[in-house]
Amino acid sequence: MVVGLTERLDSFVRTHNDRQLAAIPLALFVIALLILAFTFASTGAPVKLGMEFKGGTMISVATEESVLSFEETFADYPLNNIRQTGSRVIMQFGPMSDDMQHELVSNVVGSYTGVEINQIGPVYGASLQKQAVIAVIISFIGMALLVFLIFKTFVPSIIVVVSALSDIIIAAAFMNVAGIELSLGTVAALLMIIGYSVDSDILLNTRVLKRRGTTQENITSAMYTGVTMTTTTLAALIVMYLVSTYSYLLSSSLSQITLLSNIAIVLIFGLVADLINTWMLNTSILRWHVNKNGSRRRKA
Amino acid sequence: MRDDEQEQSIYRDYRIILFALAIIASLFFIQPWYSSDEGFTSNLNYGLDLQGGSWLQVKLQGAVVQLDADSGLLIREIVKTNLGENVEIRTVEEREDGTTVIFTSGSMLTNNQIDQLGLGQATISRSNNITELTLHTSKVTLITRYLSDSLKAEVIPGLVSSGMQYEIRTAVSQEELEILMAVVEGSIVTDLNGEPIYREGVTVETRDLTKEILSDKLNSLGLKDIPVRTAGDDYIIIDFAGIDLATAKNIAERPGKFEIRIATQGNESMHVLYGDEIRAVSIVGYNDNDGQWYVPFTLTDAGALALQKAAIETGATRNPLSHNLIMYLDDREVYSAPLSHSAAARLEEVPIYSWQASTGPDEDSKARAEQLQIHLRAGALPVNVELVGSGQVDATLGKQFKEQAVLAGFLALFGVAFVIYRKYKKKGILVPMVATSVSEVIMILGFAAATGWQLDLASIAGIIAVIGTGIDHLVIITDEVLYEGKLPPKKVYLARITKAFSIIFAAAATTILAMSPLVFMGFGALKGFAITTIVGVLIGIFIARPAYARVIPEVLETNPNDTE
Repeated sequence: MVVGLTERLDSFVRTHNDRQLAAIPLALFVIALLILAFTFASTGAPVKLGMEFKGGTMISVATEESVLSFEETFADYPLNNIRQTGSRVIMQFGPMSDDMQHELVSNVVGSYTGVEINQIGPVYGASLQKQAVIAVIISFIGMALLVFLIFKTFVPSIIVVVSALSDIIIAAAFMNVAGIELSLGTVAALLMIIGYSVDSDILLNTRVLKRRGTTQENITSAMYTGVTMTTTTLAALIVMYLVSTYSYLLSSSLSQITLLSNIAIVLIFGLVADLINTWMLNTSILRWHVNKNGSRRRKA
Repeated sequence: MRDDEQEQSIYRDYRIILFALAIIASLFFIQPWYSSDEGFTSNLNYGLDLQGGSWLQVKLQGAVVQLDADSGLLIREIVKTNLGENVEIRTVEEREDGTTVIFTSGSMLTNNQIDQLGLGQATISRSNNITELTLHTSKVTLITRYLSDSLKAEVIPGLVSSGMQYEIRTAVSQEELEILMAVVEGSIVTDLNGEPIYREGVTVETRDLTKEILSDKLNSLGLKDIPVRTAGDDYIIIDFAGIDLATAKNIAERPGKFEIRIATQGNESMHVLYGDEIRAVSIVGYNDNDGQWYVPFTLTDAGALALQKAAIETGATRNPLSHNLIMYLDDREVYSAPLSHSAAARLEEVPIYSWQASTGPDEDSKARAEQLQIHLRAGALPVNVELVGSGQVDATLGKQFKEQAVLAGFLALFGVAFVIYRKYKKKGILVPMVATSVSEVIMILGFAAATGWQLDLASIAGIIAVIGTGIDHLVIITDEVLYEGKLPPKKVYLARITKAFSIIFAAAATTILAMSPLVFMGFGALKGFAITTIVGVLIGIFIARPAYARVIPEVLETNPNDTE
């Protein structure tokens, strides 16, 4: 399975020229940008903001009752959304007054078991939003500076930065398509994508620029290592996603762990985007860069 | 084989020794144990979302700002607000050591009235129905008083490198302040770039004081070990292990009961006043005259009268030494001392508003004064707080999360092992790789146990993410080493390892850099993720992966044909 993927990818890279190779990830990048722009135009934010950034209350309880009876019980509160997974019901409330909040919490704590509550004030949510944006920007700029410091030449450095940017953009666009909201967990995942993305890019750059042998051989060897790296990480994340999201289907005593589920799914899509970006976009630009410089050197 | 280093036993290699020591230390700190009645036990601390409990997050409201204004106009406003009199300003003299203002009023103003303002020394003369007052004060005192009158809040001046800064302990916007300052021909001071020096929030000292008061109050309610954490400059998070959210809110909102009593005879005492008669508590100071540390506090009108009445009734004004003033917080004695002779004598005549509770001359006394300052506030926090977030996970759900998260971690490791085996088809690679990965997890947990770090769900997600990057790096090392499909000669091997590590260090540095904003910014929930990731990466690159790089050629050499 793994070997099959790498071989197919390798022959694809060998049989297509630089421009063809770069076209696929660039098209994806543009589509992702369009999705973000569309979401921005319709909601005012490039991704759908979750409760933690908008303010509100999430309450999840263990229960055998139906969703309908919950809608009735909590009809007096600003109930935005309600869903059932296994033996749990999860409710999302909009912002409400402190007194109402207090009453709701006492009510829930008194009547149900297995209670999980998460409440964020709208003003604090807005300040978290600002901080999250700053965190992503600082991370990204820090990463970019470090990459330039490591490679010291423009083209190899800029492709690492562009590829990381594209990974994040594609992962964010995917969140919009799959209906995943931006939460603290998904912000952490987006930052982690920066880390993972750079791993395979640095490997590719180092192998192609510093190892003797033909460019194509070096790309192939980097690809064998890099794809193994990404697939092992993907294996860990897919398992984490399945256990945290669907284990309740196996046993009603298990429940969804939203934080883990969100981190895992966003990282999975970031890594898939990274496979495409590293081995098509970066590879093609790097191949073009090395061949151009190589031929110039030969002429001189 | 002829190479000297090659012949050296791997058990004497520093990388292996370091690795072994780290594992032993980690196990020592974690102390994993299994017994049939208690199940699996260890030294690890778990976060609220894994052990059950609730948390409250509050924002401290305030503003820190630098201000300037006209001293004369400040006095006019302060006198108008407090005494209801209009005064005319004659001269204002600003000097290094203070400000002297001469002003006049058509009505009688007494020394006592001016003293009560607490602005400074005044001399009063009266002729032709005009009262002329000469007041020695300072602009800082005037601005502080003006603001605290107008905003009904404490204002704490403090000298910082760029000038005099005022901390206003209530929510006030920049616009509101500008309007207030315009009345006294003042403004917010601007910095070198022309930006007004104003920020929302409080000083670090105030944040820490608030945290102390909250801890003190919660722990005095008989609830042991309620950790109060700060998050960022302006937020405080309170963790209530094993307590549901409704109860937690009730506890946090209940004010402490502060009472001042006065000794009558023997062990008897009588009530003087409760905490709501204390108008303000200022910061601890040192009195040069009597060489004692003290806490200044001010009483309300009713409080000052009650204290005067009680002191006269009990005879404390004539014989202060046998009638101590005793302060109680939630019925616990927190301070007891007699009235000073000067205060006792003055109380015979007039009520006293500004008091100093002295604690003594040494460093211990300073600490006692700081403690008393907290007690005097009696759960009344120095700043207004706003509840901005709260949450709860109950104990059964937390236990379930814990088991499930651990399960996810184990299964993730199996998933990784499966992919590795498919790729290399060699037990000789699979076993050291998985063992290295497991050892990294043990060392992260060891670090957590040693530092008392609370593992929460986010931390476990971080550990799983570290397994991911860790394996990435082991793959890089392995593939560098096995470049031609077999183990290279020693010299080439060393060069390759160096190259592999240069890739790994670069990759690790970017991961650490990408995660660091989460550690320093105010995201309570994500700190765990970021810290485990960073610690895990550091442990990986400095301890686990060098050991792997040392072991892998040995293993491959002894079993070169170990396929399938």
